[in-house]
Amino acid sequence: MTVDDLITETASRLFAETCTHSAIQDAEANGGAPAIWDAFAETGFPWISLPESAGGSGGTLLDALEVLRLAGYYAAPIPAAETGVLGGWLLASAGLDLPEGIVTIAPGSKQDWLSIGADGSVSGTAHMVPWGRHAERLAIISNDKVASVPVSAATIAQQSSLAGEPRDTLTFDGAAADVVDAPEGVTAEALRFRGALSRVALMAGAIEKMSQLTVSYTNEREQFGRPVAKFQAVQQHLVWASQDAALTRMAADSAGRQAARGDARFEIAAAKLVANQAATRATKACHQAHGAMGMTQEYPLHHYSRRLWTWRTEFGGEREWSRWVGSTAVAQGADGLYPLVAGGTAVL
Amino acid sequence: MRFTPTELTSDELALQAEVRDFLGAELPPGSHEPGLGMSARHDKAFSKKMAEHGWVGMALPKEWGGSDKTAVDRFVVVEEMLRWGAPVGYHWVADRQTGNIINKFGDDEQRERFLPAICRGELGFSIGMSEPDSGSDLASVSTRADRDDGGWIVNGTKIWTSGAHQNDWFICLLRTHPLEEGGNKREGLSQLLIDLETPGLDIGPIPFLNGEHHFNEVSFNDVFVPDENVVGQAGMGWNQNTTEMAYERGGPDRWLSPFSTVEQLLRETQGTDLGDRAVELFGEMTARWWAMRNLSLSVSRLIDAGEAPSIESSLVKEMGTRFEIEIIEKLVELVDDELTLESESLFQRLLAQCVLTGPGNTIRGGTIEILRSVASKGLQGLPA
Repeated sequence: MTVDDLITETASRLFAETCTHSAIQDAEANGGAPAIWDAFAETGFPWISLPESAGGSGGTLLDALEVLRLAGYYAAPIPAAETGVLGGWLLASAGLDLPEGIVTIAPGSKQDWLSIGADGSVSGTAHMVPWGRHAERLAIISNDKVASVPVSAATIAQQSSLAGEPRDTLTFDGAAADVVDAPEGVTAEALRFRGALSRVALMAGAIEKMSQLTVSYTNEREQFGRPVAKFQAVQQHLVWASQDAALTRMAADSAGRQAARGDARFEIAAAKLVANQAATRATKACHQAHGAMGMTQEYPLHHYSRRLWTWRTEFGGEREWSRWVGSTAVAQGADGLYPLVAGGTAVL
Repeated sequence: MRFTPTELTSDELALQAEVRDFLGAELPPGSHEPGLGMSARHDKAFSKKMAEHGWVGMALPKEWGGSDKTAVDRFVVVEEMLRWGAPVGYHWVADRQTGNIINKFGDDEQRERFLPAICRGELGFSIGMSEPDSGSDLASVSTRADRDDGGWIVNGTKIWTSGAHQNDWFICLLRTHPLEEGGNKREGLSQLLIDLETPGLDIGPIPFLNGEHHFNEVSFNDVFVPDENVVGQAGMGWNQNTTEMAYERGGPDRWLSPFSTVEQLLRETQGTDLGDRAVELFGEMTARWWAMRNLSLSVSRLIDAGEAPSIESSLVKEMGTRFEIEIIEKLVELVDDELTLESESLFQRLLAQCVLTGPGNTIRGGTIEILRSVASKGLQGLPA
């Protein structure tokens, strides 16, 4: 169960060339980066894990998660997860057509109200829709129906994430949509877990990059006549950040492998909880080690820290997932607690 | 640094089931006073039973009484024993590290003499590293061995020696070659195997903060140690000792100490409404244990692949022991009761014990400060 090195190499090269410091900066100023998206779409990466019959590349979920990890590592300012792993998955699973452009989803904000009418029309409001203004279609799952609705039919109120990426409010009033019955296993809950898994993969990449950036910065920055990385108090931040990078990467990889095998609810829930907490600790450590430089726009640390603060609360923050994992663990009883830690979803 | 995700194979899962069956029969849950991970009781009869299943020294070669099993097989057995709170104290050190060191650096005569007895669960080892003036700066040890006919005469003192009053043998790091002015203090050190009953060797307790006898001071007064008890090459002990510490770090013993306490909390609250805060805490602990376990398991796979993951295991140990302390703190916040070791509740007794012994978790086997220094050099590509 591995990912072809070619995918890692190709995606790394693409992101390294396109997602430069100034390009990410410009994307934020302009609310998007069409040129980066075009280069990404050109390779077929957005649809890598979707079946060929639906217009995808027929790769595995692990391939897609590896691309997302790298998108996080390079802070790619594009809807890398939404178009394939989330919205594309919803549409392809339901047998609905994939558009050529960007697909996004309603991530399930508590204030959302969306209904799919018997006449196949969509009404209501979806909040914090990633890259909504750039999407061609919004994929919706509601009451056992899957709908593909054109974003051109929406009224859009523009908002941004903490990283300055579009998170728009889309309102529909009887918009004509393609609607079908949701197949077995395609539910709002399943989408929420997939969303969480996508964020964990992005976070694993971003924490790793942030941790590496901090090692190199503290080895260059000199105070009291030597690199600040020589001070034990600073080394502590480096070690803690690298642990959180390793922990999150392991959580992402383990959850991804289980998801590729089948039901992975426990692994995904645990991974998102671990990643959320790791993001909190690692951003704190890396910012502290950078001092004032890390607080500036000119230095790239914020590309990663602000994305981590965004992804940390998307598709479930600590409270949601600690309650999910906690109630699942408590339900196993004392004798079942360790078997759950060691065996995961398979013992549920 | 790279932790590769891995899962247990069907053979490894079968071993796990076998160990669970054994523990279910030997120590039915609720029937025994569980230990806190590797601080568990010494129980020679239990060590012997484990050995009969081939679970002591299991990764050692069959030729010397072992089972030719892998580091991952040992991980599977050890994680079950520790989470169960089984009394593994007597064979713990010999199984985790001393057997490996003798196998790796010793000669056939030493292997013949020690390994089969270790694998039968009949030899308990203590470790002699720290001294009154030498702790984190381990290379500064001053216990010395002077050349004598056919062996060495040892003088000096070792402290914090766990279980020396219960164990049989001592693996001791000491200076066999005098340190010259300006010399490298990592050179001239050796590892010696010393019978704890040798004349001239005195063992006295250093009581724990709560009066328990665990630590000892071991003093040497002209103790004769024969040449055949030097492990590997005299003077090259530092590198051997560093290898030994890689076995000490990164395993389940560094993140499972409070598990039996948490499990017992769940047992004693079964059927009651725990409240949101407790449920969330169970969620956090379970998720972290899952992720920590995967990291730790991947270290064992690396060892089986012939690698020496010393940076990885330092990172795991530093993180795992801090996690243990965090759990204890959160449990205390959660239960909000006055704790006593005499409580009628087993959970409360265990938690009281966790509070009293917890600070040692981030000290034993190398303080977290030293581990950070090792890990940090690794991150920056410097020699440790």
